[in-house]
Amino acid sequence: MSAFQSLAPRQPTSLETVHNIFGSLVARYRQEEVLTAVRQIPAREAKFRPVPAWVASALADAYRAKGIRELYSHQAATSELVRDGKNIVVVTPTASGKTLCYNLPVLNAALENADTRALYLFPTKALAQDQLAELQDLAKRLDDSFGVFTYDGDTPSDARKAIRERGHIVLTNPDMLHTGILHHTKWMRLFENLRYIVLDELHTYRGVFESHLANVLRRLKRIAKFYGSDPQFICCSATIANPGDLASQLIEKEVEIVEENGAPAGEKVFIFYNPPMVNRNLGIRRSYINEATRVAKEILARKLQTIVFANSRLHTEVLLTHLQQANPPKPGQPEPIRGYRGGYLPGERREIERGLRDGRILGVVATNALELGIDVGSLDACVMAGYPGTIASTWQRAGRAGRRSGSSCAVFVASSAPLDQFIVQHPDYFFGSSPEHGHIQPDNLEILVNHLKCAAFELPISPDERFGNTNLPELCEQLGEAGFLHQSGGDWHWIDEAYPADTINLRSVTSDNFVIIDTTGENNGKPEVIGEVDFSSALTTVHPKAIYIHQGQQYHVEHLDFDKRKAYVKPVNVDYFTDAIRYTQVRVLEVAEEETIAEPAARAHGDVLVRSQVVGFKKIKFFTTENVGSGKLELPENEMHTTSFWLTLGHALLAELPFTLSERQSGIFGLLYALGSMATLLMMCDRRDLGTAVGERPPSAASEINWEDFAVPANTSEAKEFFEPNLYIYDAYPGGIGFSEPLYRACDTLLSRALELISACTCENGCPSCVGPTADCSERTKEVALEILGRLCRDAQFTTRTAETA
Amino acid sequence: MSMRYVSLDRVRGLKALRRSTTQEATAQGWQASLLNDGGESYSRTKMIRNDPDRLSQALGAAPKMNQYGDYLSVRCWCAQPPRYSPDLRALRLLMPETPDEIADPEQWLFLDTETTGLAGGSGTYAFLVGVAWWEDGGLEIEQFFMREYSEERSLLFALRERIAEHPVLVTFNGKSFDWPLLETRYRMSRKISLPTPRAHLDFLHPARNLWRLRLGSVRLSELERHVLGWDRGADVLSGLIPQIYFDYVRGGPPERLVPVFHHNQMDLRGLAALSSRILSLLGDAENIGQDGLELFGVSRICEKRGENSRARKLYERSIASFLPTETDRAARRSLARLAKREGDFDLACELWEDGLGNSRHGYEAYEQLAIYYEHKARDPERARQIVRQALNELLRANQTGDIAPGAYREIKAKFDRRMERLEHKSRKPLLDALAMQAQA
Repeated sequence: MSAFQSLAPRQPTSLETVHNIFGSLVARYRQEEVLTAVRQIPAREAKFRPVPAWVASALADAYRAKGIRELYSHQAATSELVRDGKNIVVVTPTASGKTLCYNLPVLNAALENADTRALYLFPTKALAQDQLAELQDLAKRLDDSFGVFTYDGDTPSDARKAIRERGHIVLTNPDMLHTGILHHTKWMRLFENLRYIVLDELHTYRGVFESHLANVLRRLKRIAKFYGSDPQFICCSATIANPGDLASQLIEKEVEIVEENGAPAGEKVFIFYNPPMVNRNLGIRRSYINEATRVAKEILARKLQTIVFANSRLHTEVLLTHLQQANPPKPGQPEPIRGYRGGYLPGERREIERGLRDGRILGVVATNALELGIDVGSLDACVMAGYPGTIASTWQRAGRAGRRSGSSCAVFVASSAPLDQFIVQHPDYFFGSSPEHGHIQPDNLEILVNHLKCAAFELPISPDERFGNTNLPELCEQLGEAGFLHQSGGDWHWIDEAYPADTINLRSVTSDNFVIIDTTGENNGKPEVIGEVDFSSALTTVHPKAIYIHQGQQYHVEHLDFDKRKAYVKPVNVDYFTDAIRYTQVRVLEVAEEETIAEPAARAHGDVLVRSQVVGFKKIKFFTTENVGSGKLELPENEMHTTSFWLTLGHALLAELPFTLSERQSGIFGLLYALGSMATLLMMCDRRDLGTAVGERPPSAASEINWEDFAVPANTSEAKEFFEPNLYIYDAYPGGIGFSEPLYRACDTLLSRALELISACTCENGCPSCVGPTADCSERTKEVALEILGRLCRDAQFTTRTAETA
Repeated sequence: MSMRYVSLDRVRGLKALRRSTTQEATAQGWQASLLNDGGESYSRTKMIRNDPDRLSQALGAAPKMNQYGDYLSVRCWCAQPPRYSPDLRALRLLMPETPDEIADPEQWLFLDTETTGLAGGSGTYAFLVGVAWWEDGGLEIEQFFMREYSEERSLLFALRERIAEHPVLVTFNGKSFDWPLLETRYRMSRKISLPTPRAHLDFLHPARNLWRLRLGSVRLSELERHVLGWDRGADVLSGLIPQIYFDYVRGGPPERLVPVFHHNQMDLRGLAALSSRILSLLGDAENIGQDGLELFGVSRICEKRGENSRARKLYERSIASFLPTETDRAARRSLARLAKREGDFDLACELWEDGLGNSRHGYEAYEQLAIYYEHKARDPERARQIVRQALNELLRANQTGDIAPGAYREIKAKFDRRMERLEHKSRKPLLDALAMQAQA
C-alpha cells in the first residue's frame, strides 16, 4: 500500500501537490521504503483573548497600530503571570507570537515606571539584532523615549555609556554578560532597577554551554541582589518534555509553565524521506545531500517558496550551488535562491527577508542559524537535509514553513547516521509527541569553580552565601589555598591581578577545532581549508596517514600539527579507508548508584577517570573489508575526570550466548555503538557530548588493571575475553555535564530504543546506521547485539517505572 | 537533584584551581629581581597574622580610625618640588572652560593610586592611595593604606574628606585609570558616597604632546629623568606591585612594602613637579622652552585651543631651532595649515613645495598645492601639472616597491579623480564653444 493511500485527504490540493512532487521522485523505488512517513497535521484555530485592562493604553494602541487587537491565549496567560510576579517558561512553536509574551509585560512595566530595566539574553548575537528591530519599532510608536539597545562585542565603545545609562531594555548574550557586564559598576543603574530577565530559546542551551549559563545566572542574581533588585525571569522554549524542570534548574527558582498554544496554524504535510539503498548488504544509501537537492528542486520547480536546512556550513554551500544552478536568475532579476547563515551581515539578511516576503526570492539555504526565531515570514515548504539532532529543533525548522492559513509541507531527508536512521524508520517516535528532556548539570565542579572565581572578582563572597549545590566555604578555602581568594573581615576577596572571566569560554567544548587544509594548491600559494573536525574526533579521523573522506573525495593526511590544530591533506584515490585504533580506559572512581537489571546484568552511574589514546590505525579495503595493513601512531594521551553511565554484562549472560569469543566481543562493541547513538537521542545532546568505551569490570573500584588488554583491540583475535564487561557512556567533558544520572534512570528506554534501531535496520551484518561499520566486525555482530539486548529487555522488571521517572 | 558530596581530592584536582605557568613565573620573579632581602621565601598558602606594629614601624606610619574603622596613614613633607602658582592663561590652554578657582594652588590635590591589577572592574582594588597638596612652600604627602581588604571603607572615607578640602584633582592618567577605579570602589562600598571634585586636571595628554616625540614613552618615571633631570634611584617595577601587596596580605614580611610606598611618593612628587614644568612651559614657552621639540609641543596645544597666532609663532621658532626630520615635517605641515587658514598662501605654498615627496604627508602636500592652484590661484594648468607630478611619483614608488599596495591604490584613486575633474574643466569651454556654434 502506498504511503499516500493511508491517509484520508482533507485538503486534496495540498496532498495532490505533494503526491505529484514525490510520485515522480520515488517512482523507481519501493515507495514505502523511501517515504517512510507522510503525515498530515491539521490546521489549528486561533484562540483569542482580549488585551488585559491593565495594559497601558499607549502600549495597546501601539500594538493595535501593528495590527494586533487581541492576544493569543498563551500571550494573555503569560502576561498575566508576569504581572503577578511569577517566573515563567512559555513553550511555543515557531511563529506563535512569542516575543509579545515578554515584550508586552516588560514594556508595560517600563511605561508605569520609567526606571524599570530589563535584560534580554539570546544565544546568539544575530538573534538579539533581529529582536532589536521589532522592539525599536514598538518603542517608536510609544510616546515615551524608550532606550532599547543591543550590547555585545560589536557595540562601539562610544555608544556603551548611553546604553548603560538609558537602556531600558538591553539585548545581549550570555558571553557578553560574562565578560563585559557583570564586573562593571558602570551598569549600576541597570542592576539597581533590574526587574526582568528574558531567556529566549531556552532549549538551545545544551551541554556545557548550559552549565556555564546556569552559573552566569547565579552571578547575575548575586549582583542584582547586591544592588537591591530581585529580577523575575521570563523564559521561552521550543517544545521539550520538561520545560519547567529545565527552567527551574537553570534559574533556581519556582517557575510557572505556559504550554497552551493559542496561535493559529495552517495545515501541514510532514514527510520522512529515506534515501534509496545503493548497497543493501553494506547498508549504503544514496547521498542524502544529493537527495535533498532533488527534493528541493522538485518543490522549487513548482514555484513554491522553500527553505532548505543543512547541518553544516559546508553542506549549505553544496546545496546552494546545486539549487542555484537549477534555478538561474532571469535577466535583470536578482538571484532567486540565496544562502542565509550566521556570517551574513544584518543588512544582507534584511534584504533576503524582504525578498522572501515580496516573493522576489524563491528559496533560501540555511544553517541552524535560521532555526531560531528569526523572521523570514512564512514559506510553503521546508526541506531538512539531515536530522537536526532533536525533535524540538526539527519542529522549529519545520515551523519555518507554514502559512497561518493554507497548507505547507516539511520534508526530512535522512542521512545514514544511526540517529537519522532511527528517526526515519520510527516515525511514531517522532510524531508520538514525546519530545526530549533537557538535562542540565549546573554543579559541574570544574565549571562552577571557574565561575566562582569570576563571582569573587565581581563581589566578595560572604560565607553565608549559596552558590549552587556545593559546600561554598570549603571551595573558598581551596581557592584561597590556590592563591585566588583571600579572606578578610569574613568575606572572601579576589586576590589576583588577572580578570578571571577572560580565560573562561562559555562554549569551550566546540571552540577547539582542527582545520583540514588541502595542500594541493600550496605551490601557487592557495592551500585551501576544506573543513574542520572537533578536537575529540580529530585524533581518530585526521591522524597522520589517515584517509580522510570529505565530500566523497579521499584525502591522505600528510601531517598533523597538533599544537596549531591543523591537518594537512592531499587528495588521493585509493581502495582502502583507515580506522583508528583508540585505546580508551575507564576507571570507576566512585559508584553513585547501582542496580541489577536483568540478572546477571546491572546498570550504574558514578564518577570515572577516562584515559584515551590513539595508538595506531588499520587500513581496510573497500567492499571486501579486508585488513590490508596497519600502522603505529604516537599521539598525546588524554585524561579526564567525568561522570559516566554504564551497563555491566554478567559473565553468565555472555557464557550463555551461542557465539564464538570474537563474535561476542564484536557484538559488545556493536551494541555499545547503538547505545551511544540512542543515548544522544534521549539526552537531546550532540554526539560529541558523549563518549563510549568498553572495559572489564574490575574486581574493585580501586584496583589497577592493565587497561590495554581490555581496550579496543587492534586485532580481535588477540584480545582477551571480557569476563564481565562494562559498557560505558560517559560525559565527554571534564567534570561531567549531567547526562549520566538521567541515562541511568532511562536505562530501559535506552535499551529498547537500541533494540528497535538494530532490528529495524535492513543491512545484513551491521552497518554505520546500526551497530557500526562492518569493517572490523565479525559477520554476526548484529545478531550478537540483538541477542544481548533481547535478554536485557526480556527480563527487565523495571520497564514502566523508570520510564516514568526518567 | 540529590546533594552529592564531593571529595576534597576531587576538588584539588580541578584545573580551575591550577595557576598558569606564566602566572607562577611572575609570582616568583619578584624575589629574584626586587630586593636582596636574604632570599627569604614563603608559601602562598601560609597564613600568618602580621604583627600589626611592624609595618607602622617600617614606614613611620600611624594607624588612624574613622567611623568605618581603621586604616594606615603615612605623612611626610618634601621641600622638592617647591610650591608653584600656575598661570590661569596656561591652565586655560589645558582646560578651556574651567572656573577661575582652579588656578588657586591651595585647592589642588595630587593623587596617585597603587592597585591590585590593571584589569579594572569591581575586582581590582586601590590598596594604596597617595595624595599631596602644597604646604609651607613644599609638598605635603599623605598615603592611605589598607592593611586588609576590610579596611577599604575607612580608607575611602578618609580620602573623601581630603578631596573635600582640596577639590581640584591633579593626576597623571587619572581620567582613564585612577579615578574610574576609585569611582568603582566607592560604588562597591554602598555606603560612602562618591566625592565630587570641582575639576580634574590630567597631565598625561599635555605630557604626551610635549615629549612623546622626544622620549617615545611618556611614563612618569621617564619624564622625571629626562625632563626634570631627577634620578629615582632603586625603584620597584610597577608590574610587581600587586604581587607584593598580595604577599603582604597573606602574611609576608611588611618590609617589602616600603619600596611601594616610596614609589608612590616619588610618583606624587614627580607629578607635582611635572605639572609645574608643563604649566610654566605653556605660560612662557618662548623663554623657557628648552628645545624645538618642546616648542613644537606647546604650539600643537595652542593650535588645538585656537590660539593660532601664538601657535604660528611657536611653530616658526621650533622650525628655526633644531628639529628631527619627522618632526620638522610635521611642524611645517602644521605651519602651512595655519598659514592657509590665515590666507598667507605665499608661506603655505613655500612649505608645501618643500614637503612634496613619496609619503602620506608628501602626497598631502601635493594635494594641498593642487587645491590651491585649482581654486585659489585659478591656474588649472598648474594644478594639472602638480597632479601629474604626484601621479608620476606614485607610479615610481609603486614600481620600486616604496609604497604599500593598499596605500598606492587609495592615493592613486584620489589623484585620478582630481585629474579627471581638472581635465573635464579644461575641456568644458571648448564644448561650450562648440555648443554655442551649433546653436548659432
